[in-house]
Amino acid sequence: MSKLSGSWRERSPRARAHYMEPVEPQTESELAAKDSQPDNSASSVAASSPRPERRRQPRTWETPPAPVPPPLLDDYKNIVGTADIDELKFLAQEVKGRTVKMVNSTAVGGGVAEMLHQLIPLLNEVEVKTRWDVITGGNDFFEVTKAFHNALQGSDYKLTQQARDIFLMHNEQNRKRIQFSEDVVVIHDPQPAALIDARGGASQRWVWRCHIDLSNPNPEVWGFLRPFIERYDAAIFSSQSFTRQLPIPQYLFYPCIDPLSEKNKDLEDSFVQQVCDEFGIDRSRPIVTQVSRFDRAKDPVGVVQAFKQARKYVDCQLVLAGGGASDDPEGAAVLKELREAAGEDQDIIILDLPPWCALEINALQRASTLVVQKSIREGFGLTVTEALWKGKPTIAGAVGGIPNQIIHKLTGVLVHSVEGCAYQMRYLLTHPDFARQLGQNGREHVKENFLMTTNVRRWLLLCRILLSGRSK
Amino acid sequence: MSASTPILVRTPVKPFYFNTSAHLLRITPQKSNTLAEFLDALRDCPEGSIFQHSFRTLQEHHFIREGFSNDFAHWTLSACNEPGLAERLASVDVREFTSVAELRGRFIQIVENFLQRAPATGTRMARETFYFCASDTVVIPTSFVAHTLHEFTEGLRGVSVHCIHHHFIEARLRLKLMSNDFSQWLHEDLGLTEAARQLNRIDIYTMTLEDVREQIIRVVERALT
Repeated sequence: MSKLSGSWRERSPRARAHYMEPVEPQTESELAAKDSQPDNSASSVAASSPRPERRRQPRTWETPPAPVPPPLLDDYKNIVGTADIDELKFLAQEVKGRTVKMVNSTAVGGGVAEMLHQLIPLLNEVEVKTRWDVITGGNDFFEVTKAFHNALQGSDYKLTQQARDIFLMHNEQNRKRIQFSEDVVVIHDPQPAALIDARGGASQRWVWRCHIDLSNPNPEVWGFLRPFIERYDAAIFSSQSFTRQLPIPQYLFYPCIDPLSEKNKDLEDSFVQQVCDEFGIDRSRPIVTQVSRFDRAKDPVGVVQAFKQARKYVDCQLVLAGGGASDDPEGAAVLKELREAAGEDQDIIILDLPPWCALEINALQRASTLVVQKSIREGFGLTVTEALWKGKPTIAGAVGGIPNQIIHKLTGVLVHSVEGCAYQMRYLLTHPDFARQLGQNGREHVKENFLMTTNVRRWLLLCRILLSGRSK
Repeated sequence: MSASTPILVRTPVKPFYFNTSAHLLRITPQKSNTLAEFLDALRDCPEGSIFQHSFRTLQEHHFIREGFSNDFAHWTLSACNEPGLAERLASVDVREFTSVAELRGRFIQIVENFLQRAPATGTRMARETFYFCASDTVVIPTSFVAHTLHEFTEGLRGVSVHCIHHHFIEARLRLKLMSNDFSQWLHEDLGLTEAARQLNRIDIYTMTLEDVREQIIRVVERALT
């Protein structure tokens, strides 16, 4: 087995920031694909033809990139403007020196941990002293909380006394282990919700930050958790439609993206070009892209069907970039269905990428003419936010938090069917001025509502309001 | 005063302090799935909800030039498919109101009139629920203070669009006047009555807030020359 010719370190635009060794192909088909891989060295990239050769098995890397130091608030000035950052600093003055504790159930992986890694340094920078604790628990606890998580989002579940006992026992153990002396304690999601038992003096404020959709919860599980939630001073939800009726104030904090992260920062066009060359995407023709894990809720097969309808009238390629097929049996099944739906169509490019390919995803989104997120069920839909931030005209299913982001025909277009999706692909590809205006509006919408700086603003506001007693 | 007559700009009686307001969105218990429920909620919701879905929505969507004047109009069009009602709701100009109570009354009147003429539409299910939200507002200072008209234009250029919204659009609820903070200062502290009047004629519904900022600066710069 020969090594890949050249090295990624030499030829990859990623090498400017960090580099990783490629995963060696393991299966016979992978080996065959590897042997047939074209030489994409820098010199051959420069001389690449307008129709790059397809790479059906893009190289992947087995380790994530080294972490990037967290940005400072001033780093965002070039993005949101000096005035907005100065306003954040003024807003922080009244809560300077106050203390906040964030508690969740995992330090790595998942959107909540990712958000906290970004948010906490920024709050500390404005001297709102913020600590982060992660609860501990055995497999039994996390099996129960995983079941609660699914049940609260509508799955069938029979709540047993044993599950209640396990939940309460581990919450009690964490209550004894963690100190709760801060001015504001924020508990993320249902797993640590019973920590409210640790509530201290009358001046302390407790907030429950719910990141999941509670619009249709399993009544038994919600009935069990609700008495804990009602003892908090406030709850926060990610969308109006995710809430329950509660006797405490409920605030709306949209999820956000970090414009300086690998997935969203500006990229050199040469990098975008190299990623497209690597993945066999022809930038001289329109590119329609959906980025999402291989999950039926994202309806990737529906996207293929819409693409095939649209392409009868307009030339384009479809890129479906995702992951989750390697560690999730359902993901693998969806990927198989997707490949069957795509058939031998050379204009449908399916990329099964590991979760740390943020730069490549960023490049694919930037290379796209249109971005699609044809979900039939969705949380908030941060891939939509990412596409809008890159100024891309975006077509998305009108589900979950997507209508918060896409105002139909103003910041993107909402669709409800394969046929609707196909029509909008055709329309936007043939009306570039309208598509461009949607993209511009979408970016401004994200800048105003869904960036990390807006999230910092919301947390500072909440601290001011809670600690001044105005929420009562 | 003719256009060619030089304007003598006096020293302002007091400086102009540029402030801004930050808003936290609160989800209220009111929601509606039909126009009849919508009318009930319009009557019962807190004033903060009327403010949020009219004044504030202009700020949240400050980058859009057309088709988005308030959330009520948007919902009645996109979720209820009632373009006639949507047009009437969209035509409500927040600058004509100096209190949220009056503004609420106008919205209620429009929906009541519509449902009287088309009562069957009142119970038809909307495609999406309308959730009434409200704003908790905190006023914060900025680093900009104007002691002269020149400093005033520098401030206008340097502040955020939220600050422009705070002084130019929200201000009438504070002032209880059909005016805004900028016009008040130009008129009362500098005697620039014509410039103050011109600012009040800027159309906030057909421009982005950045466009509005540029228009304000142009009017003030004309007063400087």
